[in-house]
Amino acid sequence: MTDILQELKGIVGDRVSASPGERCCYASDASQVVGLPDFVVRPESTSQISRLLRLCSEHLIPATARGAGTGLAGGCSPVRGGIVLDMSGMNRILEIDYENQQVIVEPGVVAEKLNFALKPYGFFFPPDPGSMAMCTIGGMLSYNSSGMRSVKYGTVRNYVLDLEVVLADGRVIHTGKKVLKSSAGYDLTRLFVGSEGTLGIITSAGLKIAPLPRTRKIVLACFEEAEIAGQAVIRIFSNGITPSACEILDRTTLQVLKLCDPLLAIPEDGDVILFEVDGTESSTSEAARQISEICQPTAKSVRIAVGAEMDSIWSARRLVGAAISRLDPTKTRIYMGEDVGVPIKEIPALIKKVQQIAVKLDIPAMKYGHIGDGNLHVALFIDVMNKEQWEKLRLAADRIHRAAMDLGGTVSSEHGIGLARAGYLPEQMGMEAFSVMQSIKKALDPKGILNPGKMGL
Amino acid sequence: MNLDLKAINQCVRCGSCRTFCPVFEESGWESANTRGRIMILKGLTCGLQPDLQVLGSLNTCTTCGICTENCPAGVNPPEIIENARRQLVSLGKMTCQQADLSRNIFASGNTFGDGRDRLSWLTDRGILTKKADYVYFAGCMNSYRYTETAANTFALLNRFGATMLPAEQCCGSPLLRTGFDARRFIDENCRQIANTGAKTVITGCAGCYTTLKKSYPQDFRVLSVPEFLAERISEMDIKPLDLTVTYHDPCHLGRHNQIYEQPRQVIRAICRLKEMKTSGKAARCCGGGGGVRAGYKDLSLKMAKKRLEDVPGEVDYIVTSCPLCIRNLRDAGAGEKVIDLVDLVAMAMQ
Repeated sequence: MTDILQELKGIVGDRVSASPGERCCYASDASQVVGLPDFVVRPESTSQISRLLRLCSEHLIPATARGAGTGLAGGCSPVRGGIVLDMSGMNRILEIDYENQQVIVEPGVVAEKLNFALKPYGFFFPPDPGSMAMCTIGGMLSYNSSGMRSVKYGTVRNYVLDLEVVLADGRVIHTGKKVLKSSAGYDLTRLFVGSEGTLGIITSAGLKIAPLPRTRKIVLACFEEAEIAGQAVIRIFSNGITPSACEILDRTTLQVLKLCDPLLAIPEDGDVILFEVDGTESSTSEAARQISEICQPTAKSVRIAVGAEMDSIWSARRLVGAAISRLDPTKTRIYMGEDVGVPIKEIPALIKKVQQIAVKLDIPAMKYGHIGDGNLHVALFIDVMNKEQWEKLRLAADRIHRAAMDLGGTVSSEHGIGLARAGYLPEQMGMEAFSVMQSIKKALDPKGILNPGKMGL
Repeated sequence: MNLDLKAINQCVRCGSCRTFCPVFEESGWESANTRGRIMILKGLTCGLQPDLQVLGSLNTCTTCGICTENCPAGVNPPEIIENARRQLVSLGKMTCQQADLSRNIFASGNTFGDGRDRLSWLTDRGILTKKADYVYFAGCMNSYRYTETAANTFALLNRFGATMLPAEQCCGSPLLRTGFDARRFIDENCRQIANTGAKTVITGCAGCYTTLKKSYPQDFRVLSVPEFLAERISEMDIKPLDLTVTYHDPCHLGRHNQIYEQPRQVIRAICRLKEMKTSGKAARCCGGGGGVRAGYKDLSLKMAKKRLEDVPGEVDYIVTSCPLCIRNLRDAGAGEKVIDLVDLVAMAMQ
């Protein structure tokens, strides 16, 4: 170990730590997956990472990349020890080329900071996870994350034009070109996006950007119950309207939002859908009017919010996932079974099923999420000192995952597989498809040093 | 260790604090971030040994509270960390700097280990009355380092009938922030305050203020100088000054005690106020609190330099109301441009 430490120091200088305290800090993300690294390294360049992976390959040392550690599936937890590569120090925006509608960034750039930098040019990077104030682009790429506006703008995968990747043996490749489309060869870019650091380490990314919409409005529609709300969403889409965001907030979520910001003027006596529309003043007014009309017959109330009020609602919404303890300080939100997705039409059925699971197991569940793309976030919260509640939680999470698969859905829409959901992947994909994944892994990482143990690989 | 696991478990490790923690911004290591510190505390309950790196992680928290302000889960990290420091000190686990600081205070009654008279700046002691409605609590920094500010403050407060303690001791803040027991000093100051018969204690130091208010028995009202001045500004002979100043919110006045408006009210009565890039609840810490200046001077000054980047252009002074902030911002390069609110008031009364 001492020799390895010396070699690591030779590559990154003092940006390596083997202290027990530091290693403890890098043992997990926001999930329950824990693995203690032997070393934490904070590289600053592609060439350093290339040398690090050559070293890892030579000595068969696991290497696990990490961004801001905001993940919810244990993707960056080094469950087989080895080296954690903290990529958050590689945080330069290398180029803003708005004329070609793209940027080139290092993986440690924080999503929100990228958008601050793009704003003066009238552009933005649309994927907007709730954690965008702290999560890194590298983490978003690795999980193919998305967020509230994915209903209109899609996921990270839709925006990646080129990646610089260090392979397991230290070779450096580019997966694309600085062009908005290409039909040359296998789509390696899309392969690496969502691969959770199991195939290579991303060291820079060329990303497509989009023009900022001139205006945004939200329609707040409150329904007696979530199922009725889900049916309203289906009607909106089947009428040919595509909101830029379409979020469901159940009663519990609304209570938590109020605790986060007591001044929020949101209904609390039902399940609320937030429809956001963006575009020009006239197009958003028309879309908001149409949405209101479609919701009216089944909604308890419908109203439109704009400007500062809309910003406050979104700010509170982004934080709500972690804020459940404000409702009951004796309980903590545990991220399990929190990211299932189903075809939009099946959303009412999924909501009903989740409710039944929670009632049957007597475990509180807050339901919110991107109902517009079929992605439901279920927040289960327990007293973490209580073993019985842990058992119930695990059972509930398993049942929620299986309910989503039974409805033709996925165990993860945007948070990834990591280790937390690895057991479901062969079942969801089918063994034949999963074996193709195994073959790809073997071809690119024959020694199995890259984030071993994740995604069932 | 007897740590408050309930409070620790409230953290969901979402990492929101990465965006705000000024120490993490300088260091980049997770152990220098609030979430990392909480993970270390959890580690301590599971066998992690409190070595120097662990102590460094916990002791570099400035207790500025910006993480508390922005924590979606409602965790109060400064409280958790101060509790952990106390536990560790009680087990004899502390850094040399912590030990030196406490030794100085216990030996001399002030943070500097200064053997001189605390009231050396007061030319006429006859002005001190044994009984009074108000006590001006100067604090160690103003008593030994910024004596002109102490003199200006007392001159102002004395007009309203304030006296001083004959043998004021350190309020105990540096001890409490770094994990030590401050009862001896609290008891002694309380005894002297009771002897004056005063029902109100006024202090110009944010550290003293939060300690007097939160760690002392509630036998008297505690006011910060900005609060007192805001209440009495109309009774003072203030002449407007042709100046533009900015105001730095000390963490222990602002986020810890919600004193945001009063100092601004006083400034606006005197001159123009231009806000810093971050202010109020979002104000960046100067890096001097929580024992960080005493234990990690370089880190502390880096944070102060970062804070100075928030200063708007074309201001004559950076006004604040905490001598710890004054020292750190001055030492980080702002020099005499940083002044106490009381010094601004004194200028307006000349």
